[in-house]
Amino acid sequence: MSVTSAAQFQAVSQVFGDFTAVDAIDLTIPEGKLTTLLGPSGCGKTTSLRMLAGYLRPTGGRILIRGEDFTTAPPEKRNLGMVFQSYALFPHMSVADNVGYGLKLRRVSGSERAKRVTEALEMVGLAHLAGSRPKQLSGGQQQRVAIARAVAIEPDLLLLDEPLSNLDARLRLQMRAEIRRIQSETGLSVVLVTHDQDEALEMSDQMVVMKDGRIQQQGSPQDVFPAPANRFVAEFLGYENFVPTADAQVTVRPEHLHVNARQSPAATSDGLSLDGRVTDLAYRGVDVLVTLAADAPGSSSPDPIRLVADLRASTAPDLRIGDEVAITASPGHLVTLPA
Amino acid sequence: MNTRRPVAASLAVLGYIVMIAPLFFVVITAFTAGSTVRFPPDGFSLRWFEAAVTYQPFMSALASSLQLAVFAAVASLALGVPVALAIHRGKIPGKGLLEGMFLSPLIVPELVVGLALYQQFMIGLGMNNLTTLAIGHTVLMFPYAVRVTGASLALIDPAVEDAARGLGASPMRTFFTITLPLLRPGIFSAALLAFVTSFNNVPLSLLLQSREFRTLPVTMLDYVQQNYDPIVASTSVLILAGTVLVAVVAERTVGFAKIFGGINR
Ligand SMILES: Nc1ncnc2c1ncn2[C@@H]1O[C@H](COP(=O)(O)OP(=O)(O)OP(=O)(O)O)[C@@H](O)[C@H]1O
Ligand SMILES: [Mg+2]
Repeated sequence: MSVTSAAQFQAVSQVFGDFTAVDAIDLTIPEGKLTTLLGPSGCGKTTSLRMLAGYLRPTGGRILIRGEDFTTAPPEKRNLGMVFQSYALFPHMSVADNVGYGLKLRRVSGSERAKRVTEALEMVGLAHLAGSRPKQLSGGQQQRVAIARAVAIEPDLLLLDEPLSNLDARLRLQMRAEIRRIQSETGLSVVLVTHDQDEALEMSDQMVVMKDGRIQQQGSPQDVFPAPANRFVAEFLGYENFVPTADAQVTVRPEHLHVNARQSPAATSDGLSLDGRVTDLAYRGVDVLVTLAADAPGSSSPDPIRLVADLRASTAPDLRIGDEVAITASPGHLVTLPA
Repeated sequence: MNTRRPVAASLAVLGYIVMIAPLFFVVITAFTAGSTVRFPPDGFSLRWFEAAVTYQPFMSALASSLQLAVFAAVASLALGVPVALAIHRGKIPGKGLLEGMFLSPLIVPELVVGLALYQQFMIGLGMNNLTTLAIGHTVLMFPYAVRVTGASLALIDPAVEDAARGLGASPMRTFFTITLPLLRPGIFSAALLAFVTSFNNVPLSLLLQSREFRTLPVTMLDYVQQNYDPIVASTSVLILAGTVLVAVVAERTVGFAKIFGGINR
């Protein structure tokens, strides 16, 4: 059979006692691509990854790897490379022995093993630390060793659980690019778990947004970002303004709202156009965050709705708290969501 | 010393003095040239050391004690390590209860344990006293083995074992290449503790002694009840020296920080 997917979840569930951590998810991990599982804490990302790796047996459904049923196979029978959040390096072994561990188990001969260990360490730029112990390395270096160790066995899939969350901000940005580079150099199918939407947007070929053990939306960042499927995904991706309409709601990003003094003519007629008042201003250098209270014609409640506009400081009109303003957005920036 | 906490520091010093002062008197009297235990001693000689190492009852009791302590240490670990693994890594319900149960020999008075063993094993089953003592000491050391190896097991990140599995190691292989090497300081400290505790044990050994098999502390206790010469002091000094030697070896090979880190956590 032709193999187009690296792995597949078919109605996979994980129930702990009476709590459903993963609820019958269907998911295809494409071959040679980077897939991210994105969602807030507790939504079942790690649980899904551990089921794929064989550390947790699904309580329902099937897991296929390269088309074969691996639902009940233990981790050592799966040939997957896993990078743990705590890195989980073997503290009593040198860096080289850590990376060579999986190769030794595969009975790769000594000289071949040394060569492949060196290659894996060169790929992450750490060949010079082959003789060190893990505890002599920085967090970022340990992370690279963990990646080299997982990649050295030439796994069918590379799995990473929040690989960047323990690194400082600067290193995190650097490692995003590094993991992408390793993925494209090796052509590996990668699954990366994260709760950071920027990370998912920047790194993914395919992103899978989860909530409460269910998949909310999946697709390329280019598909998902401009067209969130529901309010949860929209909020998670930074859409902050939700305006009720007759039978649904529309959402728009803060940077796509225009705010002008009331008397100026409305910029658009067929887009969003609301009257409102400035309730707060926060100057942030490059931009100004304007918090607004708007009258909502479609709303059932008499209270004004809260909107946030993110204006470029250089072009923003001169606003004061309490100003009566016109709030507009062009139709291309509006996303209609189910109510 | 921490000079910013004078009260705590003084108490610590006082504690050391209270602990070490009696040892000091024993050590001094062991070097006496006279034939009674007296302080200050009558002159200086090594005659009581010579007497100690040539006194047959002490030396055969020493051999018995060492034998028993080694057996108790090995046997309690052989049982204790798997139990610690089951408690910390296994998926068994009621782990807390199980752990509490394995701690219980520490709570039951040793004399009660001894009496039970005496009645059931020696009288009831007709076992000889060596076997019964070996069982008794193993039972007494077992909780230490479970606790100490369990404490160092709890310090090992389970993800490390998961990582080995993911790289292709069977559970057995993971245990021998990852868990066991990481557990080595814990096992070493448990063995040391079990060995020393068994070697120094009096209540159980006293109850289960026989003419053929008697441990050193019991034999020494017997001896001081009838004689009052410095041979007991010199024997004690030799035991002390042996213990210090073991401690130095332990410090050199594993390190106290690791050993007692394992116990304290
Ligand atoms: N062994 C377990 N027993 C009971 N509940 C569990 C177990 N493992 C996970 N859970 C629960 O399942 C839910 C999903 O957990 P999971 O670790 O998959 O979340 P996550 O998406 O990885 O979150 P985070 O971002 O915090 O890591 C959580 O509510 C968690 O408390
Ligand atoms: Mg997680």
